[in-house]
Amino acid sequence: MKPLPDDRSLEHPIIWVAVIAGALGSIVLLNAVAWLAFPLVLAVVLYYLVQPLLHRLQLSGVTPNQALGIFLAAATVLTVIAGLTVLPAMLNSLSEFQNQLPEYWGRLQLVMRDNLLSLENRFAFAKKAGLAAGLQAQLDHFIAGSGKEYIADVAIFLLHWLPSLLLVPFLTFFFLRDGTAFHRLVLRAVPNAFFEKTLILFNRMDNQMRAYFRGMFGLTMLDTVSLGLGLWFLGHGPGIFGFWDAMVLGLICAVFAWVPYIGSAIGGLLAVATVAVKAPQEGGLILAVVFLFLGVRLLDEFVYTPMTVGRALRMHPLITVMMIFSGGMLGGVYGLLLAMPLLGIFTVLGQMFGEIWFDPRLRARYQARGILEKRLASKDLEL
Amino acid sequence: MNLLELFRPPPLDPMLKIVSGVSIFKECSRAELEALKLHLHERHFLAGEIVFDEGEEGEGMYVVIRGKLQASRKGLLKKKTLGVIKSGECFGEMALLGAGPRMATVVAEEATTVLAMFRPELVSLADSRPRLGFKIAMGVALVLEARLRRLADGEAEEPSAT
Repeated sequence: MKPLPDDRSLEHPIIWVAVIAGALGSIVLLNAVAWLAFPLVLAVVLYYLVQPLLHRLQLSGVTPNQALGIFLAAATVLTVIAGLTVLPAMLNSLSEFQNQLPEYWGRLQLVMRDNLLSLENRFAFAKKAGLAAGLQAQLDHFIAGSGKEYIADVAIFLLHWLPSLLLVPFLTFFFLRDGTAFHRLVLRAVPNAFFEKTLILFNRMDNQMRAYFRGMFGLTMLDTVSLGLGLWFLGHGPGIFGFWDAMVLGLICAVFAWVPYIGSAIGGLLAVATVAVKAPQEGGLILAVVFLFLGVRLLDEFVYTPMTVGRALRMHPLITVMMIFSGGMLGGVYGLLLAMPLLGIFTVLGQMFGEIWFDPRLRARYQARGILEKRLASKDLEL
Repeated sequence: MNLLELFRPPPLDPMLKIVSGVSIFKECSRAELEALKLHLHERHFLAGEIVFDEGEEGEGMYVVIRGKLQASRKGLLKKKTLGVIKSGECFGEMALLGAGPRMATVVAEEATTVLAMFRPELVSLADSRPRLGFKIAMGVALVLEARLRRLADGEAEEPSAT
């Protein structure tokens, strides 16, 4: 993303407060209408991902509507093919996973208990705290009562969410078809004095969102391939991971990494836990997975991120972490995922608002228009 | 009723008809003008209202559909009037090529309607329709070339050179 041209506009403390309040307020609002906001956000992401494909089609000489038609036909055919081939395989894997779940769960408990017991043997304070017994009690409580409730909650949550996902293709279609007209409609409401500057704001926001979503998609793909190949390389020898298992785990970890700092740590823990559960005796392998994650993190930091998302959304780590935690508190998973993109959008809005609102000439022109309108309206009146 | 009438395309939008007469868009086909329409913003100015100020960063050009405007530039002692821009003429086209300060102030002399086209939108239009983008860029280049030649010949500045 391009650096923003005028950082002076953000110097005003009111604008900074408004930027943070706007980002957090939007999280609360989006969370309140989550059933609509979730498909809306997904549709916006899809819109930015699909747009370059449509542009390519248009370059071959077809009109925008024809390009959209071709894309829709291709997407429908691909969905049907995927539904017939990948879906049954996925359902098979899921049912296999469900069958093996009690075994994995048992192994995970064993690994955790063994590690805590060895901690207790080494450190007196851990023994005093009764870590292993405490964990066992918590797990028993989870399985006996709240665990079932939690699973029921998850099932209700999924049933509640799936229908709203049907909105995604519908919304994406209209964004792609009528995006430009909608853009013009919104701009029509802007007063003449602020029009050119507002147009620059729209363009800058559009570029920021496009760069961010496309960059995140590219970053996710690169992370998935790096982690997937690494896990497969480490795990296929002892028979822990097949190629696709490793890729799916890589994808899950890459998606977790959308949440800066915390997400990567959770993804790493997930991969380490998977290896620990599947091969509890392979201590060296667990260490290798930790190093793999550290290596991919470094790659991500110094190669992938500058290549894809860029560094424009890079805030001070303290602000980033505070925003993520506040976002998580206010909007749960939503808040965690959307805190940074929303902060980026509101930063651009704040900068542009500062540039427009604190420009005395533009405000004077806006007020002059009001006076002209008043004069015109009272032309034939004796005042 | 004449059956041939059914196959005749509907008449061109009156605003687009004016746009098609502007030298920058003269090479555009009807279909291209229709595509262009999506990127043109209709704005209404009252008599005495400023469209843009001299020195302000320019982002796009305007085609006058109705009304007239006056272009002027700051002089050493008083402002220098460059002239009047009338319906069917355009101004501010240099901003389509690159961001830079406006070279004059343009004020509506009477109630005026303009169609505005902005550089970011021209860029996105050229992305999806390179042929049309090329035609417009070439049109702007030709207008600027003619203006440079006139200046080199010692002729007066045009009001549209903003």
